[in-house]
Amino acid sequence: MSFVLGEFGEERTLLAAARALRERGHRALDLHSPYPVAGAEEALGLRRSTVPLVTLIGGVTGAVCGYLLQWYTVGFDWPLNVGNRPPHSPPAFVPVTFELGVLFGALAIFLGLLFGYFGFPRVHHPVFEVEAFRSASIDGLWLSAEVAQGEAEGVAAALRDLGAARVSVVPGEGAP
Amino acid sequence: MSTAPETLPAADPLETAPVLVGRPGDRALTEGLLRPVLEPVRKGWLALLGLLGLGVVFWLICLYQVLFKGIGVWGNNIPVAWAYDITNFVWWIGIGHAGTLISAILLLFQQKWRTSINRFAEAMTLFAVAMAGMYPIIHLGRPWLFWWLIPYPSVNRIWPNFKSALPWDVFAISTYATVSLLFWYLGLIPDLATARDAAQTRARRIVYGILSFGWRGSARHWQHWRVGYLLLAGLSTPLVLSVHTIVSFDFAISQLPGWHTTIFPPYFVAGAIFSGFAMVLTLMIPARKAFHFEHVVTLRHLDNMAKVTLATGLMVAYGYAMEWFIAWYSGSRTELFAFTNRVVGHYQMVYALQIFGNVVAPQLLWFPRVRRNVGALFLIAVAVNFGMWAERFVIIAVSLSRDFLPSSWANYSPTWVDWGTLFGSICTFGFLFMLFLRFLPAIPMSEVKELRRELEHEDRHALGAAAHAGEVGR
Repeated sequence: MSFVLGEFGEERTLLAAARALRERGHRALDLHSPYPVAGAEEALGLRRSTVPLVTLIGGVTGAVCGYLLQWYTVGFDWPLNVGNRPPHSPPAFVPVTFELGVLFGALAIFLGLLFGYFGFPRVHHPVFEVEAFRSASIDGLWLSAEVAQGEAEGVAAALRDLGAARVSVVPGEGAP
Repeated sequence: MSTAPETLPAADPLETAPVLVGRPGDRALTEGLLRPVLEPVRKGWLALLGLLGLGVVFWLICLYQVLFKGIGVWGNNIPVAWAYDITNFVWWIGIGHAGTLISAILLLFQQKWRTSINRFAEAMTLFAVAMAGMYPIIHLGRPWLFWWLIPYPSVNRIWPNFKSALPWDVFAISTYATVSLLFWYLGLIPDLATARDAAQTRARRIVYGILSFGWRGSARHWQHWRVGYLLLAGLSTPLVLSVHTIVSFDFAISQLPGWHTTIFPPYFVAGAIFSGFAMVLTLMIPARKAFHFEHVVTLRHLDNMAKVTLATGLMVAYGYAMEWFIAWYSGSRTELFAFTNRVVGHYQMVYALQIFGNVVAPQLLWFPRVRRNVGALFLIAVAVNFGMWAERFVIIAVSLSRDFLPSSWANYSPTWVDWGTLFGSICTFGFLFMLFLRFLPAIPMSEVKELRRELEHEDRHALGAAAHAGEVGR
C-alpha cells in the first residue's frame, strides 16, 4: 500500500476533497491539521466516538473496586470498632469510592486514547516520510490516502485537481 | 453597499480588551509562542534559575534535618502538633485548585478566555500538588514507612482505617495529582508534536518526538482526543471540589473548637480557588512580560482572573463572618473563646494579616482601573498569597494552641527549619516552573489556533450584522 499526501490551503477545499475521494470509493482517508477541523468527522464519515463508554466502564470499575476494598478490609477482614459505629459504615466509605471512580475513569480515558485509539507510541509512520508534512502541526492542512500501489498516481492527480498544493506519494514496502 | 463598515464594531461595549490581540496567522502564532522553547538560553532566565536553585539546595538541607534528626527540629509541641508543616500542605494544595478550575470547569462553561492560560495554570497545579504532597509524608515521623497508608496484604495483617479522614486524604491527593497530570499531558501532546516539527536541532526533534508519541494531527485522533479531553474535564470538575472538601474533613470531623464546623468544606474550596487564582496572577504577570505573551494573555484575561479572585474572596469573607456568627449563636463558650482568641490572643498579628490579605486588599478589585493596572494587580495577588497562608496557620496552629483544657495550653514558635521548609518549597516550586517555561509550550498553541478560527467566525458575523444594520438605517 502507498500513501498519497496533499496539502490544502483552506478548510473548505480540504473537506471538499475528502468528500470527493470518498465518493470515488476511497475509504482509508485521513486529514491532518494542527487543530481539530470542524466538520472533519462528517467529511470522513466517522462514527461517534466510543470514548464515553470506555470512561463509564473505567469509572464504574474504580468505584465498585473502591467500595469493595473498604468493605473487605475494615468491614469484614479486620472489623474495626471506631466510636461503636458498625464495621460496615457506608457514609464513611463515600470519599474513597468517589476518588477511585474518578481515578480509574481518567486512567481509562488516557491509556485508552493513547494505546487503544491512537495506537501510540508510533513515531514512525509513512506520512512522516514527507519533509513538508512538518507543517501539519504548525499551519498546514493535509489529506492522506492509503491506496493500492497501482492507484497512487491516479489519486495524486485527483488531489491536484481538487486543489492540493505539494502532492507527494510515499511508496509502500515492496515498491519498485 | 460600498459604505458598509470596514472595521469591526466593538462586539460588546462592556468588554474592554480582546481575548486575542489581532488575528495572527498560524505560523506566526507558532513561532511567537514557541520562541521561549526554541531560542537560545537567556541570561536572565539562567540567573533566576540559579538563584532558585540555591533555594532548592537550602530546602534539601532542611529536609535532611527533618528526615535524619526527626521532627523535633521543628517548633511543634503538644498541643500544637500540627503547625507550619500542615499549614504549608493545605496552602499548597489550595493553590493547586485554580489550575483545574481554569482548565476543567471553565472549559465546561465554554469560557473562551481560559484557552490561553490553561496550560500555565495546570503546570502550576502540578508543581503545587507536588510541593503539598511532600508535607504529610515528612510529617509522619517515620516517613520511610509511608507506604503503610496503602492497603495491601502485609505480614502485619492490618489495614488502613478507612473511617478516618487521613486515608481519605491519601486517596484524594494521589488521585488529584494523577488526574491533573493526565489532563495536562493529554492537552500537551499536540503541542509537543508542534515543537518536534518546528525544532531546528536533531536532539530536540528526537526528544519532542518521543514525548509526543508520534502525534500526526490525524482527524481520526482529534475526534477521540476532543471527546476524551472533555470527559477528563467533566471528571476533574467534581474531583477538584472533592479534594479540598476532604482536606477540610481532616479538621471538620474532629472536636477541636475552631475546627469542628460544618461550613469548612465549601469555605475551604472557595479559599482554595481564591489562593490559586492569586498565585496564577502572581506568576502570569511577570511571565507574560518576560516571554512576550501579551497578545495571547491580554488585559482581558487579567481582568477576568481578578474578578474570580474578588468573587471567591467574598465567599471566603462570608465564611469568616459565618464562623463568627456560629461561634456566638452556638452558645458554646469554648467556641466563642477560640474566635476571640484569634483577634486578641498571642497570634493577633497573624489574624490581622489574614483579614488584610483576604478581605481588605481584594476589595480594591471592585475598581476596573485597579483590575487593569498590572502592578497593582500583582501586589494584591501577593497580599492574597500571604493572607491565605496566614488563614491556614490561624485555623491550624492557633486553634490547637488553645484547646478545651487551659492547663494544656502552649504557644508555638517556628524554628529556622520551619521557615526553611516553607521558603525552600517556594523556591523549588519556582525552579520547576522556570524549567516548564523554558522546555514546554506554556500556551496551548493548538487551542489558540482553534480559538482564532472561532473568533474570526464571530468577527464575520459581527461585520455582517453591522453591514445589515447600516442598510436598514439608510
